[in-house]
Amino acid sequence: MADSLLKIRRLSKTFPGLKALDDVSLTVGRGEILALVGQNGSGKSTLVKILAGVHHADPGSEVDLAEVEGSQVGLHFIHQDLGLVGTLSTIENLDLDQRLGRRALMPAPLRAEQERAEGLIADFGGHFDVRAPIDTLPAAARSIVAIARALDGWDHPNNVLVLDEPTASLHGDEVGKLFVAVRRAAERGAGVIFISHRLDEVVELADRVACLRDGRLIADVARGGYDHDDLVRLIAGEILATDTGIANRDTGEPVMSARGIQGPTIGSLDLDLHAGEILGISGVLGSGREEVAPILFGAAVGNVSTLEVGGVGIGRLDPRRAIAIGVAYLPGDRHRQGAVMRMSARENMTLPRLRPLRRFLGRLDQRQEKREVMRWIEQIAVRPDDPERALELFSGGNQQKVLLAKWLRNEPKVLLLDEPTQGVDVGAKAGIYALIANAAAAGAGVLVCSSDAKELALICDRVLVMRDGKVVAEMRRSELSEASLVSAGLGRAGPDNGGGSAANESGVTSNV
Amino acid sequence: MLSFRNISALYIFVVMFAVFSLWVPDTFLQWDTWKALLSSQAVTAILAIGLVVALSAGAFDLAVGAELGFGAIIAAWFLVDRGLPIVPAIALTLLAGALVGLANGLLIVKARIDSFIATLGMSSILLALIAWISSSQQILGISEGFQKIGSTEILGLTLPVYLMLAVGLVAWYVLERTPLGRRVYATGGNIEAARLAGVRVGLVVTGSLIACGAIAAFAGMLVTANLAAGDPTIGPAYLLPAFSAAFLGSTQFRGGRFNVWGTIVAVIVLATGVKGLQLAGAPTWIPDLFNGTALLLAVGLAKFEATAARTSALRRMLRFDRGSGAGGEAAQPRPNSTVANGGRK
Repeated sequence: MADSLLKIRRLSKTFPGLKALDDVSLTVGRGEILALVGQNGSGKSTLVKILAGVHHADPGSEVDLAEVEGSQVGLHFIHQDLGLVGTLSTIENLDLDQRLGRRALMPAPLRAEQERAEGLIADFGGHFDVRAPIDTLPAAARSIVAIARALDGWDHPNNVLVLDEPTASLHGDEVGKLFVAVRRAAERGAGVIFISHRLDEVVELADRVACLRDGRLIADVARGGYDHDDLVRLIAGEILATDTGIANRDTGEPVMSARGIQGPTIGSLDLDLHAGEILGISGVLGSGREEVAPILFGAAVGNVSTLEVGGVGIGRLDPRRAIAIGVAYLPGDRHRQGAVMRMSARENMTLPRLRPLRRFLGRLDQRQEKREVMRWIEQIAVRPDDPERALELFSGGNQQKVLLAKWLRNEPKVLLLDEPTQGVDVGAKAGIYALIANAAAAGAGVLVCSSDAKELALICDRVLVMRDGKVVAEMRRSELSEASLVSAGLGRAGPDNGGGSAANESGVTSNV
Repeated sequence: MLSFRNISALYIFVVMFAVFSLWVPDTFLQWDTWKALLSSQAVTAILAIGLVVALSAGAFDLAVGAELGFGAIIAAWFLVDRGLPIVPAIALTLLAGALVGLANGLLIVKARIDSFIATLGMSSILLALIAWISSSQQILGISEGFQKIGSTEILGLTLPVYLMLAVGLVAWYVLERTPLGRRVYATGGNIEAARLAGVRVGLVVTGSLIACGAIAAFAGMLVTANLAAGDPTIGPAYLLPAFSAAFLGSTQFRGGRFNVWGTIVAVIVLATGVKGLQLAGAPTWIPDLFNGTALLLAVGLAKFEATAARTSALRRMLRFDRGSGAGGEAAQPRPNSTVANGGRK
């Protein structure tokens, strides 16, 4: 079983200003489950995208799919959203038409189809109603359908299956079912690349673990050569090389106090944000990290039992009221939520607060507006410095600067940021951090929810680490490091430096 | 700003004008031809302006044709069947149009029905209402005074042309010169982002549809004045010209944004083409062919240009980044010399 199905040699990928992958070599053998681990931004998704043909690798890189018995190995991808059609049944999603030798307009042989579908999912340990719409099935069953579909209909067993975060939306017992399916696939001779943030799963499932950090392959270890803690150390790195540049600041009175924040994942969370403080929220995908800011702003479903802003109690917020009382929210998804991409930088920047620019007969004072926007653009160094350019034509970093300025222009008391540097190149990151630090220095309380532990360790005064919808650790500036955050987020004991405060299994809610 | 892409309709107008001037000079170059054309197109233009307001807020109002027909019939009904004086009749007609718009808005915002479906359904309901009110008969006996609205001439042009300019001016001012207009465009551009920026998007969408409904009813009233009768069949024929004009207009002046002046120019350009072809003796099905083709071409070309612009901007950006790595920050992202040199250093 040692023959390899997929060989990657000296794979590099350079984006402008960023080396996403640097000389990575990997092989996946027949029947082998290879786990690929690493932090956000370590290059995992770039690797998957190169395999899928979304990106082209740099010259000199090699990606070889072995030829077995005259036919090339097939590559199959199952992404987090599975790519199934929710309103159709399992049978329809499996798309059995061709396999049953049927033409497009022939009537469907229902019985045969159903039996075939049941057989297929049974191969992967699934037993459920194949006629029910996919939407009505539990998450694990949906993953099984996706796996069955990916591997069905190939006349040879030489396939490589790439699972990208398949367990992020699964509950505990469902994960087990998915693992059965993945093992079945491997037993049938497929190679599996399994990408996950949940290290317990990796330890349980993988035959071999490859770890990426900053685009480089830093470990490729076979089963037995590592345990959970080793992996944490590998992923996070042991060096505390975070020269902050952001000194310990005195923080003032609380500007926002929330009790009992509840959301789809979040059980009940309390937090206090002080004037001048940069508070981070850390956690892996699915930990509830990404729900906090939108719920506080009233942008997403959720509930807050009591909320005070600037010492004044408020009921539930909606975006309009939130803005009126000095809360600002920068969503993580720029394209969908953050900006009107086809409007100019100027129009985006002034949208939340046009009132001061209103003149006689409701006229908008565009000259004043241009002056004001130009001042911001110079201050935050947007390139090119053209306020009339449509926002979609700026690079990610410059878009984000414009959107940050849009909120800073309101002089907010509370600044809620979701993934403030997502899709932003290294150069612009520093600029954005400086803007955040300036806002805090000006007295705003800043909440930064981020999947990038390095970023949080760099800029935050305090970080709450979330896991499974609860705060499991709270770290002050002196305890912060990328490693301590990652290990606390992944659970279990951290590497030597994060030890004491990091892992608190009981799920204590922070209450400062 | 003056590139071909932004004012292509004006170039097309010049070309068509030249062609028809040479082809059918006797009729095409008559002032009366143009007066009639402007007069008849004023209604289409007013309707298209109403549509622009709705489209800017991101709502497809497929009921504009029926709304115009409804305005035409209800104005006649108020004047003749209810015997109301002119001013109250006009006010009530506008109110009725606004109420139809409100109903559209509530269906979309409160009942969360897609604007396409909501207005399509409303369109059918309005056609039923029109038939019910009029018993599918023309309402005759419109007073002389009301007819004057359509026929009064000032400085050689009929009143509807001036009314079109007035409606256009107000719509332009609100859309492009006020905070409200900014919020309308933001809502149409990305409703979620607008909501998160504190815009009351439900109100904006509903308000735009109310304005659209009232303007459409106003246009319908002018038709009744022109025809001296309330005609229950006229509405639907205005739908396609209004959409063609609004979409063709969006490719003009404002780089892909629905706008008032682009739309008025588009109405006139389309009408000139159709008129010229009619004068040159083209068969009766030519206007339909012309309008449909123009709509598809306008939207198709705009899509193509948008993609092309984005790709080239992206390419410039990538080259710029690579250039700045070697040559420093100073290089401006211009497509030619500076950047290329920066990269080679």
